[in-house]
Amino acid sequence: MLDKLLEIVNTVRNNKGLATLSDLKPSQDLRNDLGFDSLDLAELTVRIEKEYGIDIFADGFALTVSDILAKLAK
Amino acid sequence: MPDKIFLHDYKSGKRYTYRQLLEDLNAVSDLERYCYKQDLYAIFLAIIAANLYQIDLVLLDADFSYEELQKLRIDATKLCEKEHVNASFINTIDELVGRLTGNQDWELTLFTSGTTGIPKSVTHTFKSLTRAVRISSRHADDVWGFAYNPTHIAGLQVFYQALLNGNTLINLFSAARHTVLDFITSFQITNISATPTFYRLLFPLTELYPSVKRLTSGGEKFDGALSEKLLDFFPNAKLRNIYASTEAGTMLEGVGDIFVLNDENCYRIVENELYVHRSLLGKGDTTSLEDDEWYPTGDLVELIQEDPKKFRFLQRKNEMINVGGYKVNPLEVEENICIHHAVKQAYVYGKPNILLGNIIIADIVSDAGITEKELRDFLQSRLQPYKIPRIMNFVSFIELTRSGKLKRT
Repeated sequence: MLDKLLEIVNTVRNNKGLATLSDLKPSQDLRNDLGFDSLDLAELTVRIEKEYGIDIFADGFALTVSDILAKLAK
Repeated sequence: MPDKIFLHDYKSGKRYTYRQLLEDLNAVSDLERYCYKQDLYAIFLAIIAANLYQIDLVLLDADFSYEELQKLRIDATKLCEKEHVNASFINTIDELVGRLTGNQDWELTLFTSGTTGIPKSVTHTFKSLTRAVRISSRHADDVWGFAYNPTHIAGLQVFYQALLNGNTLINLFSAARHTVLDFITSFQITNISATPTFYRLLFPLTELYPSVKRLTSGGEKFDGALSEKLLDFFPNAKLRNIYASTEAGTMLEGVGDIFVLNDENCYRIVENELYVHRSLLGKGDTTSLEDDEWYPTGDLVELIQEDPKKFRFLQRKNEMINVGGYKVNPLEVEENICIHHAVKQAYVYGKPNILLGNIIIADIVSDAGITEKELRDFLQSRLQPYKIPRIMNFVSFIELTRSGKLKRT
């Protein structure tokens, strides 16, 4: 699951001209560490929903990679 | 008193006092007719100086591309044109406020994404811009969180509300969540005016923010659940919901999502659409006025009480997509995508999104094997970032209506 999430994160990063990451850490903050602004976070939710059928912001907020993983594991 | 902070800007890392502002104003000699700047203080200084010396000013978004400027019919060679003024000495904030408010007819022009795909200019006077500003000793100690684009109408309203009361402005626009939360506490911010999207992105909240007295929401559809959640963490804040537009400035103030129509000379509802009387509008394109008197806002409302008339907003009549408070015209985006030689056809639409209200999606027909990244890079030189589709689907065909138009649902 982490690999697929990494791929999605890198798509969003590359789309805004940021470098590809080689791995994700659960503690990483989506805004501060991954460099996502509100438009990027919205794009991330749509791409994750497309892949997993889950809206990660539907029931409260996701700040970190581990928040996303927890929602996808439900 | 002049040592009071005028602006703290996290972006430049600088803090400006009113003394500094007065010194800079007293030193001006040549004023630009166009404001096309990044730095927030430079933008504010340009507006104040133009207002002070009655030089009409055109306000441009710093991220307008060359193509967008051309569409606005702005001659790039004129961007640097200046007009000479003889600065007069201003000693106090009161003197500055008196001089600014004395120039009621001074004109400021800004742009709005027109509903037909061609952006249009709207020219406001000082009077129409500051119609909703309240100057009073009750506001003397307000500290404003500045959370809007400074070159858009909402940002200008907050700017003038703060400046004309001699208040401190703390820049929060595009700031990281933790920066916003730190600043609310460290600067004891009392007033914030922002979009629902801005407030949504502050969550999850864990601490209380008792310094805030007023939270104003506008630019997007009111979010009742969000408002309730906000009050849990801003225990001393009153919430208000503002209806405003670039054409008319601030118009109505709602309680929750309910607005009262108290002046039938200024507003009327015809076939569920809100109309505004021309006396409230800035100068601009008047072709859309009905009977030369009434401007259709394009906002559909639901009447919930007859006397006095009470209503709530339902949706836009036209196709503008609201992305976190920014209005995006899908026709403008489609037109720019189709300029790329590898694109045969494009259909741009909004998909509801819990964070931003809507996210821009494009369906694209191309037989030349273009990638999403290539198309995005192409659009980056042509469109402001919030207009660029975040998801691009490459499809084999796009359904058309019988009249040959794109089918919009």
